[in-house]
Amino acid sequence: MTAFAHAAMEQLTDLLGKRLLTDQESAERYGVDWTKVWAPSPCAVALPETIDEVQQIVEIANEHGLHLVPSGGRTGLSAGAVAANNELVVAFDRMNKVLDFNEFDRAVTVQPGVVTQQLQEFAEEKGLFYPVDFASAGSSQIGGNIGTNAGGIKVIRYGMTRDWITGLKVVTGKGELLELNKGLIKNATGYDFRHLFIGSEGTLGFVVEATVKLTRQPKDLTCLVLGAPGFREVMKILHAFQQDIDLTAFEFFSDKAMAHVLAHGVPKPFDTECPFYCLLEFEQLSEQVGEQAMAIFEKCVEEGWVLDGVMSQSLQQLDQLWQLRERISESIAPHTPYKNDISVSIAKVPDFVEDVDTVVQDAYPDFEIVWFGHIGDGNMHLNILKPADLAKEDFFAKCNNVSKWVFEIVEKYNGSISAEHGVGMTKKPYLEYSRSPEEIACMKAVKQVFDPNNVMNPGKLFDV
Amino acid sequence: MKVLVPIKRVVDYNVKVRVKADNTGVDLANVKMAMNPFCEIAVEEAVRLKEKGVVTEIVAVSIGPKTAQEQLRTAMALGADRSILVETDEDVQPLGIAKALKAIVDEEKPELVILGKQAIDGDNNQTGQMLAALTGMPQGTFASEVNVADGKVKVTREIDGGLQTVELTLPAVVTTDLRLNEPRYASLPNIMKAKKKPLDTKTAADLGVDLTPRVTTVSVEAPAERQAGIIVGSVDELVEKLKNEAKVI
Ligand SMILES: Cc1cc2nc3c(=O)[nH]c(=O)nc-3n(C[C@H](O)[C@H](O)[C@H](O)COP(=O)(O)OP(=O)(O)OC[C@H]3O[C@@H](n4cnc5c(N)ncnc54)[C@H](O)[C@@H]3O)c2cc1C
Ligand SMILES: Cc1cc2nc3c(=O)[nH]c(=O)nc-3n(C[C@H](O)[C@H](O)[C@H](O)COP(=O)(O)OP(=O)(O)OC[C@H]3O[C@@H](n4cnc5c(N)ncnc54)[C@H](O)[C@@H]3O)c2cc1C
Repeated sequence: MTAFAHAAMEQLTDLLGKRLLTDQESAERYGVDWTKVWAPSPCAVALPETIDEVQQIVEIANEHGLHLVPSGGRTGLSAGAVAANNELVVAFDRMNKVLDFNEFDRAVTVQPGVVTQQLQEFAEEKGLFYPVDFASAGSSQIGGNIGTNAGGIKVIRYGMTRDWITGLKVVTGKGELLELNKGLIKNATGYDFRHLFIGSEGTLGFVVEATVKLTRQPKDLTCLVLGAPGFREVMKILHAFQQDIDLTAFEFFSDKAMAHVLAHGVPKPFDTECPFYCLLEFEQLSEQVGEQAMAIFEKCVEEGWVLDGVMSQSLQQLDQLWQLRERISESIAPHTPYKNDISVSIAKVPDFVEDVDTVVQDAYPDFEIVWFGHIGDGNMHLNILKPADLAKEDFFAKCNNVSKWVFEIVEKYNGSISAEHGVGMTKKPYLEYSRSPEEIACMKAVKQVFDPNNVMNPGKLFDV
Repeated sequence: MKVLVPIKRVVDYNVKVRVKADNTGVDLANVKMAMNPFCEIAVEEAVRLKEKGVVTEIVAVSIGPKTAQEQLRTAMALGADRSILVETDEDVQPLGIAKALKAIVDEEKPELVILGKQAIDGDNNQTGQMLAALTGMPQGTFASEVNVADGKVKVTREIDGGLQTVELTLPAVVTTDLRLNEPRYASLPNIMKAKKKPLDTKTAADLGVDLTPRVTTVSVEAPAERQAGIIVGSVDELVEKLKNEAKVI
């Protein structure tokens, strides 16, 4: 350890006492997110309890050139919260309180370590709803959700995390505490830095408090699972329903995805085998809505867009039908899948999928491609399963080629190389497929303003 | 052969019910209602018997409010041929329901009545047994397997410590347990067809039965809340707490 680092550690110990963890087990636990590609190697883990402590940590880091990695629930899928280069992990487990709730603003102010599900449950207790939801909500934290601008399964109706944050307190890489937007709905006073911090993956500063607005609870959610003869028909179904009904979700999955999830033990929705399936959900606010849905379904059948379908008759069935979509990931996990999360505008989805299928199948005909995703948002999860007889290293080497081809196609369709999982380290080499050199230069200039000494999460998003 | 399938409209299994502030019952305002899960199993079993060619007609019946039509439509979407609603706004109890069902049995003369072993709202587990007693039909309760052949039904029952198989002479009453089958989903084409299937509405007076509740609820309380757990610092502390606080060792 250098003399510098030694001094930094001493100051941190004075500040945090037992809340500075230096043991190997903590380092391994806190130094890695869901990706588990890079080996964790932080210098220590800090567990601040107050904003003031966070500011002091940043000051110490600036003084000694220490690098800081903000860490939430570490469910991230882009290695944004990974500390592989002797950084100090700053984890928010001890800042996990709900600070304030106002029923007239329908807003709740929370510390960054509040777990997403905890916020959802708090809202429910108040008779309200926090709609950002996804499979990792039981572990991810609000700070991390803001860091990645998390999306999920209800985006088509409720938007991303960004759409629910009305105020942020942040500690910048310089150690300044900024209060951004103050929980206001209307605030026409110039640059809105709140939105710069949302989705910045911890590269500008720490989120130390957030004000989140809530909405009314959805009423009588009902879902349909439909089978379609092709991808283009799925898009027509989406269009037909969106004309008349506010959908709360529109998910799709391929026949291969269906086969895996059925083999995993989820009950079959119907017997007719179809190349594509979609799950759509809406609030049955009145009997009329249900009848409207039936009428649209009838039209879709007449047009030949739908081959078969079922409708949930209870919340229990709603839950069961959702498993067809939500348990795909775990059902293919044993096949060591290559995963990619990408988006294009909705209208371009079928051509995009066709292009990717062609390119991958031409090069590697033995690869099984499993598509699913939040198609109502133009967001696809591409999964490729490892052939059983191919070694893991060879498979991932081939997948590196796949990544490049996929991103070339993403660029061609003006899409995004990362729809909702962030860039972190896993997609850093590919950022230019979605962002122009001029834009990346602006991003770096912005980082300079908030974090001139590059102490905040270096090596993530881009290299300065 | 004709099967009668009684079904009940209850609070959806997935709803977390809240006790009313005055402790008179649970709050049902704006709460999602659905078919009782054990009734879904009963409908499924009847439909399977029909698919096997054992059964020729399935009649679903519900005793409850006008809105119970929704659950009868669901039953018809799943495969019931027609249905009967005995409309009442009373909070009907098992004996009242069993009497109404007896009247329907007398009219319809089914050879088999398949119903849930209990409804998840009252958890009474009485209706099937009472119906058997009132009609004099034999009963096979908690069925996990049902086989109909030669004027008899063999029912495998889930009992404490194992399985028991009974053979009943038709007509008979069978109540369903959880593992009897896995109910299918209502397909959209069938939901549409169900709209055109007949649904008759009757009243208790039509049947000549009295549905007035006989049992009065005195008070409803929510279960005691579980205390949050704590993380102890060491084994010694754990032992200390088990000894002195929990007093279990
Ligand atoms: C099974 C599974 C399903 C998932 N499904 C979805 C999905 O549907 N949609 C979706 O969007 N994501 C999904 N994810 C990804 C992940 O859950 C989200 O990215 C989530 O927002 C990460 O939150 P976290 O608290 O775990 O953050 P972490 O992984 O700990 O961190 C994420 C990023 O935020 C930064 N960060 C964390 N806390 C702070 C803070 N207080 N201040 C500043 N920066 C901070 C970190 O440095 C890192 O760059 C899924 C993940 C899993 C494992
Ligand atoms: C009767 C009346 C009622 C109003 N009610 C409302 C209201 O309810 N809500 C509300 O928000 N506002 C309201 N306004 C204010 C005004 O209409 C809005 O601010 C509107 O957005 C201004 O649009 P504009 O095209 O007239 O812009 P301008 O007045 O021409 O310009 C507004 C600003 O935008 C900049 N700008 C203009 N064009 C561009 C461009 N292409 N690129 C970059 N910058 C540009 C200008 O430099 C200037 O700073 C009202 C105004 C009036 C007169």
